[in-house]
Amino acid sequence: MTVAAGIGYALVALGPSLSLFVSVISRKPFLILTVLSSTLLWLVSLIILSGLWRPFLPLKANVWWPYALLVLSSVCFQEGLRFLFWKVYKRLEDVLDSFADRISRPRLFLTDKLQIALAGGLGHGVAHAVFFCLSLLTPAFGPATFYVDRCSKVPFFLVSAIIALAFVTIHTFSMVIAFEGYAKGNKVDQGIVPVIHLAAGMLTLVNFASEGCVIGVPLLYLVASVTLLHCGKMVWQRLKESRNQSDPSR
Amino acid sequence: MDRNQRPRSILDSLGEELIGILTPVSICMFTVVLLVCVLNSDPSSSSASFSSIATAAYAESDSDSSWDKFVGAALNSLVFVAAITVATFVLVLLFYLRCVSFLKFYMGFSAFIVLGNLGGEILVLLIDRFRFPIDSITFLILLFNLSVVGVFAVFMSKFSILITQGYLVVIGVLVAYFFTLLPEWTTWVLLVALALYDIAAVLLPVGPLRLLVEMAISRDEDIPALVYEARPVIRNDSRLVQRRVWRERRSNQNGSNDIENTSRDEVVRVVRAEAEEEEHVGSSERSEISVPLIDRSRPDQAENSETFLEGIGLGSSGAIKLGLGDFIFYSVLVGRAAMYDLMTVYACYLAIIAGLGVTLMLLSVYQKALPALPVSIMLGVVFYFLARLLLEVFVVQCSSNLVMF
Repeated sequence: MTVAAGIGYALVALGPSLSLFVSVISRKPFLILTVLSSTLLWLVSLIILSGLWRPFLPLKANVWWPYALLVLSSVCFQEGLRFLFWKVYKRLEDVLDSFADRISRPRLFLTDKLQIALAGGLGHGVAHAVFFCLSLLTPAFGPATFYVDRCSKVPFFLVSAIIALAFVTIHTFSMVIAFEGYAKGNKVDQGIVPVIHLAAGMLTLVNFASEGCVIGVPLLYLVASVTLLHCGKMVWQRLKESRNQSDPSR
Repeated sequence: MDRNQRPRSILDSLGEELIGILTPVSICMFTVVLLVCVLNSDPSSSSASFSSIATAAYAESDSDSSWDKFVGAALNSLVFVAAITVATFVLVLLFYLRCVSFLKFYMGFSAFIVLGNLGGEILVLLIDRFRFPIDSITFLILLFNLSVVGVFAVFMSKFSILITQGYLVVIGVLVAYFFTLLPEWTTWVLLVALALYDIAAVLLPVGPLRLLVEMAISRDEDIPALVYEARPVIRNDSRLVQRRVWRERRSNQNGSNDIENTSRDEVVRVVRAEAEEEEHVGSSERSEISVPLIDRSRPDQAENSETFLEGIGLGSSGAIKLGLGDFIFYSVLVGRAAMYDLMTVYACYLAIIAGLGVTLMLLSVYQKALPALPVSIMLGVVFYFLARLLLEVFVVQCSSNLVMF
């Protein structure tokens, strides 16, 4: 595709993350470091998964159940890694709190913790978008474009950018939900994140049907909006709680 | 809201020195990748047969077997590393004989050559690629002016920081682009060989760089070198302002060695930052780290041997100094990855940044001179091959069927 179209597709996939980065993350250097380390972690997870699945590739083109197995195993692995990520973050939080005590500054506020979780999620989303969408986009500059048979109404790059946008949203905000769930021990929040991730992964299998992306992509956006709403509700509740706690006279 | 009266959290300023050094490294790598993609995308243009000292022993051609290529690349790297070692020892000798002004003049001259010659070549390639209408006299005048300003910016201390930093990054980009023109096997083996040489030169007792650093410390002098320094940021209420900070010489305190310089191209410091330095520098975070710097020099390609300094160190206020050679070889790795595919570029970029972070952590733990190349280069090479062999097949399989997770 042309350079203009290519930049357009890249912005479709990564535009909201870019604005999130510029407005929230770039203000605090620690958050930029969090985004980078989170991206690195998910890259390593992708490499490990590709190493595990390498003997079985290439998969046959029209059979869908090997892909289901692939998605299931990958989602399970990534959710396990998310829990490990939270453990490491917990230790980091203790280190930061003791550092703050040492230089007589206030400890981490709730908003700080939420921002770190957001940065972690953004790293996950950016890793997904870069490796699943952008890396196919950038070699394909030129005068023509590419369509796949299964989704023949829209250029392939546009479909993958739209799907990547949904996944970026899901990954970014489910990390916030997950961290708050682990911190408060809330089983609902802890459980809903793997469910959302698995549902989103399985929904992309709908794309195997001919013209399946007409159904698959809107359903994926439904899941993304559910994630967004749940995260928004949860964060609003937490902020209200903490404001009531700090100022009981109100 | 009572938000404005709430004291600033530590998250506001933690890690800004690291970001100060990551940003120019990222910009340098990004520019080299851009140049590689733009200038190499035309397959009809002859791939520049770049003959330099790094290809003196063996010129790679496509028809050789893998083993031949590997042996040839190893020979090339051996010749190159030997040349670098000899040049570094010459530098040590000159520094020992106190020919410092000669060294400074030579550095300025080589910076001029890089900006003029290499910069001119790349600009000509770009003009050719984009069919930009410009006549040769205007071009020569502009090039000359840019080069002269660059030499002054790099070696005079009263220039604006942004211009100095910009010119250092530009020099790094130019040299790195030309290194990416080397044949493929030679590039990879050369990078690994240089990482190993880096360890040897800095950590072994007979290593030339260690000798250089010890001489500089004992004489309380600075080494003329090209080093990128991320200046400490000073808060002006709510705005971040980067200002050049002048520090005065202070007498020895508490028996520790406080050696400070005010010149712009200072390179060597052994400093213990303490509470009272906060009022001199005004940085919002006290760094309780004392670190020596390491210096290294390395000649460049056959056209001219320039001395760049590599190595990594921490200034007293936390301003990190990174030698220009590190910029160059990180960008060479990423540029060479760009010649294969952009997925490898992303993987190598993340690996190099991770390596840089690990090196800085080791620096604050060990508190002695450390080489900046090995960890990043090794991680970068490993991630390149992993991405190329494993990741690409997997990801293309999934996303071309629109299956994502």
